[in-house]
Amino acid sequence: MAALLGSSLRLLLRDWRGGELGVLFSALILAVSLVVGISGFVNRLQINLERESSRFLAADLVVSTADRTPESFIARAAESGLARGETVTFSSMVVSESDEMFLASVKAVGGAYPLRGSLEIEDTNGQLTANQPNPGEVLLADRLVQQLNVLPGQRVWVGDAELVYAGKVISEPDGTSGFFGYGPRLMMHTADIEATGVIQPGSRVTFRLLISGSPDQVSEFADWVRPQLVQGQRLLTVEESQPGIGATLDRARGFLLLAGSLGVMLAAAAILVAARRFGERHTDHVAVMKSLGATSTTIRNLYAASLGWLGIAAILIGSVLGWLAQSAMFIALAEQLPGEINEIGVSPYITGAVTALVCIGFFAWPPLARLGLVSPLRVLRRETTIAGSQRALDLVLGTLSLAGLMIWYSKDVFLTSALMGGIAVTVGLGFLGARALLSSSRQLGSRAGSVWRLALAGMQRRGVNSAFQIVIFGVAIMLLLVLVSVRTSLLDQWRLQLPEGTPNHYLLNVAPQEADLINDFFTDKNVEVGRLYPSTRGRVMAVNETPLPTWEIGQEGPRQQEANFTSGAVMPEGNVVLDGEWWQPGTTESIVSLEEGFAQEIGAEVDDVLTLRIAANEFEARVANIREVDWESMQPNFFVIFPTEVLSRYPGMLLTSFYLEPGQKPVIGDLIDDFPTLTVIELDVVIDEIRAIVDQVSQAIELVLMIIMVAGALVLIAGVTASVDERLHESAILRALGARRGRILGAIAIEFSMMGAIAGLLAVVGAELSGWLLQTQMLELDYQPGWILWPFGLVLGALVIGGLGTYTCRRVVSVPPIQVLREV
Amino acid sequence: MITTSQLTKRVSTADGDLEILRGIALEIKRGETAAIVGASGSGKSTLLGLLAGLDVSTEGDVVIDGTSLASLDEDERALLRADKIGFVFQSFQLLPALTALENVMLPLELSGASDSDQRARDFLDRVGLSERRDHYPRTLSGGEQQRVAIARAFASEPLILFADEPTGNLDTATGAKIIDLLFALNTEQGTTLVLVTHDMSLAARCGRQLVMQAGELEEAS
Ligand SMILES: Nc1ncnc2c1ncn2[C@@H]1O[C@H](COP(=O)(O)OP(=O)(O)OP(=O)(O)O)[C@@H](O)[C@H]1O
Ligand SMILES: [Mg+2]
Repeated sequence: MAALLGSSLRLLLRDWRGGELGVLFSALILAVSLVVGISGFVNRLQINLERESSRFLAADLVVSTADRTPESFIARAAESGLARGETVTFSSMVVSESDEMFLASVKAVGGAYPLRGSLEIEDTNGQLTANQPNPGEVLLADRLVQQLNVLPGQRVWVGDAELVYAGKVISEPDGTSGFFGYGPRLMMHTADIEATGVIQPGSRVTFRLLISGSPDQVSEFADWVRPQLVQGQRLLTVEESQPGIGATLDRARGFLLLAGSLGVMLAAAAILVAARRFGERHTDHVAVMKSLGATSTTIRNLYAASLGWLGIAAILIGSVLGWLAQSAMFIALAEQLPGEINEIGVSPYITGAVTALVCIGFFAWPPLARLGLVSPLRVLRRETTIAGSQRALDLVLGTLSLAGLMIWYSKDVFLTSALMGGIAVTVGLGFLGARALLSSSRQLGSRAGSVWRLALAGMQRRGVNSAFQIVIFGVAIMLLLVLVSVRTSLLDQWRLQLPEGTPNHYLLNVAPQEADLINDFFTDKNVEVGRLYPSTRGRVMAVNETPLPTWEIGQEGPRQQEANFTSGAVMPEGNVVLDGEWWQPGTTESIVSLEEGFAQEIGAEVDDVLTLRIAANEFEARVANIREVDWESMQPNFFVIFPTEVLSRYPGMLLTSFYLEPGQKPVIGDLIDDFPTLTVIELDVVIDEIRAIVDQVSQAIELVLMIIMVAGALVLIAGVTASVDERLHESAILRALGARRGRILGAIAIEFSMMGAIAGLLAVVGAELSGWLLQTQMLELDYQPGWILWPFGLVLGALVIGGLGTYTCRRVVSVPPIQVLREV
Repeated sequence: MITTSQLTKRVSTADGDLEILRGIALEIKRGETAAIVGASGSGKSTLLGLLAGLDVSTEGDVVIDGTSLASLDEDERALLRADKIGFVFQSFQLLPALTALENVMLPLELSGASDSDQRARDFLDRVGLSERRDHYPRTLSGGEQQRVAIARAFASEPLILFADEPTGNLDTATGAKIIDLLFALNTEQGTTLVLVTHDMSLAARCGRQLVMQAGELEEAS
């Protein structure tokens, strides 16, 4: 055993000296570092972004309840070592010493609130702090200070509690989560809640338990809590509370995993080619060893052990490089996400190691395993070939193993199938097309000039090998094209997702009679304001007269749902009807439009009749259509929409959105001064956040793209190098016979350019197929067939492969022929 | 030492079966030296391949030192080669990735010898190449390469040495030196030597001359 390890190491070092391992080893390292780098980066990005976005919740996870948070939840969180905070929110009249009264949106905070993000408070000395209010104190929004006319140190009454005014609330991290609550903010300590006497059975109060900790702890807690939630209790997560950020993140992750998978495929292709060449070059070596008495077992063990060494080295080096790569990708993001998580965990390294093993086992090993079958007779008769060549089976097994690896790695069967489909088409067409072209090129060649004849004859003589090379080139170019085109659409999509002028503020609680005044106000200030939507809280009670159950523990299936109802004659922008039809303006029929997910939750389909309740009124409406909503658009979105005439019987408030340029912030103050009962929700922070993420992730994507390009180049180099030996010999003979170097190089250039052109064409076909599947199905982007790609692929393939091939083979005409001919 | 009976080799080609060897009966005793001569394409290399267990016969058997090759599988034949057989080829067959010393060590390592390094050095000394120990085959002349090959063949002290046109790629003077070396080591180790050659003077130095003609072997008188 020790002897085997020793001699395999020696074998490896000798081969290394001989320069035969370069491509194989680089490809292995590349595969490992790509996987480690990308999955490390994706992990880290996700954790950091979630953390960053979690400031919008002021926590990693929130349990929202209509009643006091159950003691068992708090106890469990304490047990798990999670950091805790609490908030209690409700609306209440507030009274000042000067007897001014105003309806405030009260938020009592306690524990370690805020767990994420920070408060901005201006104390009564004008100092900025981040401290939550002490028991006995209140902090007020500027507007409330004005309305109540309070001075520092004066008393303020919330219900029965008497509190001291101790500063102003400038901003709070979780200001944008939860749309309810009227009036400007009053912040107090939870210790004083009891004293207010506000919390009575039936009062509208929201209790929140805020949780933060390591991702594992938090998700463990979430899994524990979720099944115990009863009616009125909800779990708020970062992704749900910020769908825009969540979706952006998902796309970025999807793309990076796609890129990683492509990279691994490219590396696998390079390994396959390099290992084949390695095997071919070692055939004589093995024949001699066998004639000297080595058994096939010895040979196999020797090569297996060598590959083992190679794998270990590649895993180690690749892991280090991968770590460096993800750090490099993260440097760009570091500013945006102040260094929170710096560890990528062990899972990327495990994934990297498994990738190396799969690449070795299914791509590098088969050609070497066959070395065991080499006949020792080769030492006497050179042309004796390897017994039982099974390349096709190798390819099939390799592809299957790679598919398995990708599914495991990206957890995405669809992505894998789309790529495999493209590859299968490229490979299938490749072998057929290459064959046909190769055989017809013979006739072409006989009529062509001597350089062309030489080129075509060369291509044809190498028959199967040429076809194999074409297919490998084709797959490599295809994968690169897919990646480039998906990247381009993704970046375009991102640019379009939040165009300049996307509404960055919501305006709630607009009374119907204020609507015109508010429109005038905005026209006056030169601010673009969106459509005004009626918004009334309502509830779905029954579907087709079957009452829906209320919430009960552990119960699955449809149940009652509450939502903001709106109405309109036309469908909101960005919505798409999936089933049914949108109504004619002016209809008085009692019909309703439902959002896809909402319809599912209540178990309703088009033409079902819903029983709805608004306040104390019950009425029926038929489902006219089911819509898809673009949650990332940052526009007001509604689950339930009625025709204008239907909802007008149940008057409610209105809401709208508007866009403020960065310098227009003071408009909000003016607005509130003129309309004190309005609630403004500022989304500009969230939008900036999404934009920043997109920018930074785009940079990371470019970096990944560059690495993948290297992988692609490696495949091309491996493919080109594969035939150098043979060409070397041929060229030596031709030159010995008097051929000029220019003619030989010309023939080589033509041969590679032709192969490149065919490969380029094939690649475009495969890329179109995969690209179409990926973009339309996985990334949900629009797909446009890239007709320009066709000539582009052809010319690019010819130029790149032609250039690379000629460059790599230049040695063929510079080595003195005698040296080659002597080398046997 | 080597006995064959009815040794036949047929291969199938595009235009039907081709019988290369036609029932060859041969006996070579321990320590004998035998030369096989004959026209090109008469089947000499094929016979050598069968005798050395590099290939399997279509009919008949080869018995080496009491072991019937027909009863062995490929791997068992390899072990037999490691144990008892050495080779010298026309085209040297040194491994280009290995130095002269490493080439000589190879069979010693394969048969698990513990002092392979020292023995390989000794044998390189014997063939006068101790200076070129760490050189790669491509930097050695043909004669030097063949000397390395001879060192490799004798280093494992085989019972039988097969040589297929050992001087075929060398000029007459170098060829003569190689042959001297071959016979010197052969005498020293008492090896049984079977060589294929076109060189009549070389054949004459062997104890027996066998003539191959159209797949049949005859003893020259
Ligand atoms: N596997 C095979 N398939 C087809 N023909 C074969 C095969 N092996 C040997 N031959 C043919 O058998 C004949 C004998 O070959 P062999 O190599 O034994 O000749 P040789 O006597 O060594 O010739 P030379 O002196 O030229 O080396 C040749 O015509 C050769 O082409
Ligand atoms: Mg021969």
